[in-house]
Amino acid sequence: MQKLKTKNLKLKTNEVAIIALLVILPGVRAHGEIILTDVTKQTGITFVHTDGSSGNRFIMETVTAGLALFDYDNDGDIDIYFVNGAPLKGTPPSRDGPPKNALYRNDGGWKFTDVTEQAGVGDTGYGLGVAVGDYDNDGYQDIYLNNFGLNVLYHNNGDGTFTDVTKQAGVEDSPPHVGAGTCFFDMDKDGDLDLFVSHYLEFSYDKHVTTTTMGIPVYANPRFYKPVPNVLYRNNGDGTFTDVSLESGIGKHAGYGMGTVCADYDNDGDTDIFVANDVSENFLFKNDGKVKFEEVGVETGFAYDGQGDEQGSMGVDCGDYDNDGWLDFYVTSYQHQLATLYRNIEGDALEDVTLATGAGAGTLPHVTWGNSFVDFDNDGDRDIFVACGHLQDNVELYDDTTSYYAQNILLMNTGDGKFIDVSATSGDGMKVKLSSRGAGFDDLDNDGDVDVVILNSRREPTILRNDSPAKGHWLQVCLKGTKTNRDGVGARVKVTAGNLVLVDEVHSGRGYQSHYGSRLYFGLGSRTKVDRIEVRWIGGGVDVFENIAVDQLVTLTEGSSKMGR
Amino acid sequence: MIVWLVAASFLWESSFVVAAQETQKAKPSSKPTTQQSPPKQVTPAKGVQGPLEQEAASLKKEEIELAKKLMLEFPDSNVPIVLMGNIQVRHGNTAEGLELWKKALQLNPRQANVYNGMAWVAMSKGQYQEAINHWQKVLQIQPKMSGAHVGIARALMALGKQIEAIGELEEENKISPKSGFSFYLLGHQYLQQKDYDKAKKNYEAAVAVEPNNTNAYYGLYTVYTRLNQPKKAEQFLASFKKLKAEDMKVLKDRNDAYSDLLTVRKGAAETYVTAGRLYLESGRFQDAEALLKRATAIDPNDTECLEWLVTLYQTTNRVMDALQICKKIIKLEPEDPVAYLNMGLFYARLQRTAEAEESFFKAIKLAPEKSDGYRELAKLYLKSDIKLQEAKNLAEKAVKLGPTAVNYMALSRTCDKNGDTAGAISAAKQAVELEPSNPIYQQIYQALQKRK
Repeated sequence: MQKLKTKNLKLKTNEVAIIALLVILPGVRAHGEIILTDVTKQTGITFVHTDGSSGNRFIMETVTAGLALFDYDNDGDIDIYFVNGAPLKGTPPSRDGPPKNALYRNDGGWKFTDVTEQAGVGDTGYGLGVAVGDYDNDGYQDIYLNNFGLNVLYHNNGDGTFTDVTKQAGVEDSPPHVGAGTCFFDMDKDGDLDLFVSHYLEFSYDKHVTTTTMGIPVYANPRFYKPVPNVLYRNNGDGTFTDVSLESGIGKHAGYGMGTVCADYDNDGDTDIFVANDVSENFLFKNDGKVKFEEVGVETGFAYDGQGDEQGSMGVDCGDYDNDGWLDFYVTSYQHQLATLYRNIEGDALEDVTLATGAGAGTLPHVTWGNSFVDFDNDGDRDIFVACGHLQDNVELYDDTTSYYAQNILLMNTGDGKFIDVSATSGDGMKVKLSSRGAGFDDLDNDGDVDVVILNSRREPTILRNDSPAKGHWLQVCLKGTKTNRDGVGARVKVTAGNLVLVDEVHSGRGYQSHYGSRLYFGLGSRTKVDRIEVRWIGGGVDVFENIAVDQLVTLTEGSSKMGR
Repeated sequence: MIVWLVAASFLWESSFVVAAQETQKAKPSSKPTTQQSPPKQVTPAKGVQGPLEQEAASLKKEEIELAKKLMLEFPDSNVPIVLMGNIQVRHGNTAEGLELWKKALQLNPRQANVYNGMAWVAMSKGQYQEAINHWQKVLQIQPKMSGAHVGIARALMALGKQIEAIGELEEENKISPKSGFSFYLLGHQYLQQKDYDKAKKNYEAAVAVEPNNTNAYYGLYTVYTRLNQPKKAEQFLASFKKLKAEDMKVLKDRNDAYSDLLTVRKGAAETYVTAGRLYLESGRFQDAEALLKRATAIDPNDTECLEWLVTLYQTTNRVMDALQICKKIIKLEPEDPVAYLNMGLFYARLQRTAEAEESFFKAIKLAPEKSDGYRELAKLYLKSDIKLQEAKNLAEKAVKLGPTAVNYMALSRTCDKNGDTAGAISAAKQAVELEPSNPIYQQIYQALQKRK
């Protein structure tokens, strides 16, 4: 049974008025204030990210790292796993021992305890991407790390500890390349999770490039390095994986992979792969359902922005921003490029609607990274969060139109297909100026709204509590597969509440090299009842649940019409 | 009078190229043919400035000191202030650059290109409305300045004001009917409006002007896809993919060959050229020469510095020096017809007819569509009193290619020399009509008429 807490709402006069209006006019969406409060200091989290740098400017320093939000101990609250860099060539070892990834157990009340050592997940490799998934369907979520160097698969033992099973699983993914995003997904609908591993570029110290801009030493851009193909592993169902990159078609395409997400963009019942590529066209690998993938990025419009230009793409995530039943995509990018919103045109095309919707507002001067579609105010439409921060730590020396440390961006969905930048009025959490990379979004305090965790390069993370005052009703859905994969990764959920129809899908590995959202979040606005939930399990059947109360987390088990709470 | 311009454009490195140019003199484009060294694959020692960084820092300091000196020596001129602004913006200090440009505008508010530079800075910061305001100032000063309407349109697009952006692009196309980019952008705006016919028409116009406009092919692919015409869509997709592959190859090659030091040197040389021109304009030729020579020392491959030295030597009647510089330019740009033309003129002044003739031949060969080579060769024959009928033929050709006053006057003289007084009068009349304020043309015309 999941723990549930309800935050005490102290309503101000105007908030009462808003709620009254919602009661009178059911179905009308309210767009209240979103407030994200910086609670980092009170969490007890002491993790500080390192990029392993010592002034040599190795390219991987600029792109590390992601984070994972997941319930590692199945106690009903979301824990945090930070991915860390490691000393690179020329960096002296720390007196405190090597930097490690860190797992923080959520103790409730915004207190977290470092359980890295006891859990055994303090990888000291050079970390970039992370995905979480229950690859052996034992009911506990496992961790896969995509590193510069050997990758790592941590098997969750179910007792609060993990075991490194990389070698026996056959997913080391040997160098020389820099890792990036990674995803678990069931590509062949056989009930277990397969593994997609993206690569940034080929790197070895002898190929390191130094360069300058206006005489100032800077990190070289990725074009100086060779792009490498990504890797796809099929889960053999016995704790081992087989590399099927070539026969699947994935291995035929080399790119500068960054963020990835696996999602069913064309609603054909199988999961496709999206790869945001730096300085080159993005990839969309369309799954034919038989372990063959066709790269259709150009044909669908995902490869380039609407003008046919490649971007310095960083992170990618999906969500149905316009509630038309199709997953849309958001891709962050480099300075002087707008982060791009692709509207899904019924699975036929992904149309760049950035300018028409205002979804790129505020992003132009910045390098942008982690992102997601999140309904922060539970008003029934998904807003957009964008993590910012330049990758050149000295950029101000040759370009004062941007900065290494930057405020993140919050774009509120106005409900009519447009977004407005509300960063300046959304609480002190949006005023934090660091150089953000991965970001994750989950309900950390189980109060019904989605909170934010951000990994900042070379610094402490930022933990943002959602304190939005005028929230609507909500429903959270946790899936439990029985015949299909245990966490329901790839399952499509459709929630109907009056005139509001929302869809979402369970994803493992998303945004910028991160993982979050194993639990699905639905903002319902003024609706006081959910009429219907339809779950289409990946490779399985369809289950329907009816007449569900709002403001709760429900666990839906495959093959059952009963819900757990 | 010299008109100073500030031109700013984006580079992907997010810095600005800011240049001061004199517009009244027809100058050839001078693209340096540089030997660029690839980036180092060596790790410098920590905290130690490499030679590149040292040179760049030293050049920046030198530029700033020079601009300061100019501000002291030309206190009433806005040029040194604009120049200092340019230097600051180029080195990424736009805050200070903008302050300087604002100061320059207080001295002379009618500097369209300063506003243009300010607009681009605002765009880079995502300050779209401010960029629009600056470009509107540009258009108040110079209503037909190309690119300003496109700039406004791009800012409007970023503000989600697509209909207004279309209006601006339509205006741009009236001013710059040969701009493939503005046709392309217009097509893109109509595509966003789902007006596929107009989108198609404008994309096609872009391709007509620029057959290798990769983006326009992508637009056409998108339009035909939306119109559910897969065969046409596939055709344009194939063209797009081919062009994109070529673009990516160019990008990769350019990236690998990029030399930051050359960029730094080029910027510094431009500063010295601007300073040299300021002294040249004020008649301080020695100072001008020293600055222009420093410019060529900093960037030996930049022909613009050399061209200004030619102008200086021409002005100060140092023909041999000018000739030497022309030879340097030709060494750097063997296909530059203007350099050969200038060389021919200097040989002619030195009465080295054969070498002058050879230079003019080369200029004609390199730019057969330009009238200058034919005219100057005709004048050489006249001056040397040789090949007079050929001189007349050459002058006729020059007039045919460029019916300008100077060409008509050359024709008049060749006609006269060949005994064709009527032809001479007729051509002189044309010259006078084209340049009625030219007293020499008037005198010649009147003298010819008296002989009638």
